[in-house]
Amino acid sequence: MKKSLIYLDQENIQNSIDLLAVIDLMYGKGNSTTYAVCLNHLGEEVTGLVDYIINIKDERIENHDLVNLTNCLDELQKTYAFDSILIPATQTGRMLAPRLSMRLHVGLVADVTAIEHQNGNLEMVRPAFSGKIMAGIVNKGRLPIMMSVRQNVFNYNSDESKNTEKIEFLPTNIQPSTIQLLDSKEKERSLDIRDSEILISGGGGVQDNFHCLDMLAQQLDAQVSASRRIVDSGLASRRIQVGQSGKTVSPRLYIALGIYGSLQHIEGLNNVENIISVNIDKDAPICSLSDIVVVGDAVEFIERLVKKIKNNRKIETGENL
Amino acid sequence: MNIICLVKFVPDVDNFMYDYDRNVLVRENVKMILNPDDAAALAFALKVKDRHPSTFIEVVSMAPKSIIGQLEDLLRRNVDKATLISDKNYVGSDTYITSKILAKYLKAKSFDCILTGTHALDGDTSHVPAQLGELLSLAQLSNVIKIDESKFDGTQAVVDVDREKVISSYRVGLPAILSVQKESKYKLPHIKFKNLNLNVSANMTIVSNSDLNFDVNEVGIEGSLTKVSRTYPKKMEKKEHIVVNNDDEGIEVVYQFLKSKGYV
Ligand SMILES: Cc1cc2nc3c(=O)[nH]c(=O)nc-3n(C[C@H](O)[C@H](O)[C@H](O)COP(=O)(O)OP(=O)(O)OC[C@H]3O[C@@H](n4cnc5c(N)ncnc54)[C@H](O)[C@@H]3O)c2cc1C
Ligand SMILES: Nc1ncnc2c1ncn2[C@@H]1O[C@H](COP(=O)(O)O)[C@@H](O)[C@H]1O
Repeated sequence: MKKSLIYLDQENIQNSIDLLAVIDLMYGKGNSTTYAVCLNHLGEEVTGLVDYIINIKDERIENHDLVNLTNCLDELQKTYAFDSILIPATQTGRMLAPRLSMRLHVGLVADVTAIEHQNGNLEMVRPAFSGKIMAGIVNKGRLPIMMSVRQNVFNYNSDESKNTEKIEFLPTNIQPSTIQLLDSKEKERSLDIRDSEILISGGGGVQDNFHCLDMLAQQLDAQVSASRRIVDSGLASRRIQVGQSGKTVSPRLYIALGIYGSLQHIEGLNNVENIISVNIDKDAPICSLSDIVVVGDAVEFIERLVKKIKNNRKIETGENL
Repeated sequence: MNIICLVKFVPDVDNFMYDYDRNVLVRENVKMILNPDDAAALAFALKVKDRHPSTFIEVVSMAPKSIIGQLEDLLRRNVDKATLISDKNYVGSDTYITSKILAKYLKAKSFDCILTGTHALDGDTSHVPAQLGELLSLAQLSNVIKIDESKFDGTQAVVDVDREKVISSYRVGLPAILSVQKESKYKLPHIKFKNLNLNVSANMTIVSNSDLNFDVNEVGIEGSLTKVSRTYPKKMEKKEHIVVNNDDEGIEVVYQFLKSKGYV
């Protein structure tokens, strides 16, 4: 029986839970005892899903204190000798994983998006060179196997309910932190494109009229996102960039306006149920992934569709046209 | 104040080609650019130096010798010293080994702050800064979008960090490793015209393994703990799709589709 540890990042519990799917892919379902560790948090969310919840209990350690967090996980590794440690590739996770792997003297694979088994070797797959290629990476022998796992890629579903045991962990090796949180402020528009069910996304084809996307977004209660082209030309913030160097998104509907669909861009689309693309070139790569391809100008499309939606709404509510 | 900036030159990934027949990336004629996050970090350091001319800035890069010209261009922008760590034994090092090599050099230096990028365009692992934090026993913060210049005094830094949903400000005791994002909007200045051909070779140092003394089995491909076992082009899932025109009929098809799926 293998032993695996997942790190529960409070800022994204769901993505942390999804790491259990990766463990199943690595070892086969039920072949690993699973531990979830969380900092000053009960971790109720994984009750029934893991064998053990380890709660690091020490109010002196804050979320941003990666040094002491590493000290704790190092201590846990010494106690439990895990075969693998999986960390979600959240911002905290991406600072924690490299620090911990260095402490444990093991290799680390970043941002894993798939697990393969090749000639008896466990291969961790990740996008590289901005998603143009996928790379299979193997770990050269030392344990634990460590990886950070890309968010919104795996989905864990299980109907079994485990008898979860709770462990309270009181760390013994705490040092004074040199980082102090002063304050946090909401971003002006804190809407995250990854949370949106519908994305209206623009690329080079709407470069001159990117603001028009807002009109359609408003009608569909959607958010606006962009390809790298738009972001690089300064029309939108990287926060709303979809793709390998941007965000991986999983909306139900993705409307691609004037987007070519380079591999780097498509890399950012995961489990998208429906794609509608509007493009003057019906052979653009994004089109082959779409349910509907509208051949023509994207801004004209926005105007027509907005009008149609408004009109139909009026008919439905019985208003005069 | 002494600031060390870690810089990496990366292939301009937008102009990369993939050879599907040979299954390799076409690297010929690929332009190497300064990683955008690193450029932002260095731009901040240069701002500090503008304000306090006694500031000493060293850039450190581990790379093949072919990037000397690009490092020289950084020296022509008022950087005081450039160090290139280069040795054929280091080729193929994974991030673990790259960090060990950089750390060995950095351990012998005195500095008030190390600035890096948050992530590099090529591998995009973001491993190196945090690994260096561990090896040098320093605090490290990624995703820095602002460093308050007025409070940056060699004992502390007040920084804003983009944490996706919020922006958090932290006070960090120095020395520390601060990893900047290009969203910080710090822009690297152009080389002044009079400095375009400035001879800067006196400020360039090349460090090889005869200086760092690693056992050759501990570095490069051999020493690395991860190995790229294969690469393959990303495959796309093709879909059966309807092609319509951008006219009333086409819009009707789109609208009915949206309605049938419950989007409107
Ligand atoms: C697709 C892909 C994914 C990867 N994913 C991971 C991962 O998840 N985790 C991980 O730890 N590593 C990862 N790596 C790194 C990998 O393990 C090795 O670093 C890689 O095989 C080396 O090839 P390279 O072309 O990237 O780097 P190289 O060009 O060999 O460079 C490796 C390092 O050495 C420096 N260097 C190159 N030439 C010289 C020279 N002559 N003198 C001095 N320094 C030099 C580079 O600047 C770099 O820091 C990945 C690499 C690739 C290509
Ligand atoms: N070979 C290198 N030489 C100098 N700095 C590096 C090197 N590799 C990575 N870095 C620094 O670490 C940051 C993150 O790079 P990476 O870990 O490769 O994503 C970069 O933005 C650089 O500041």
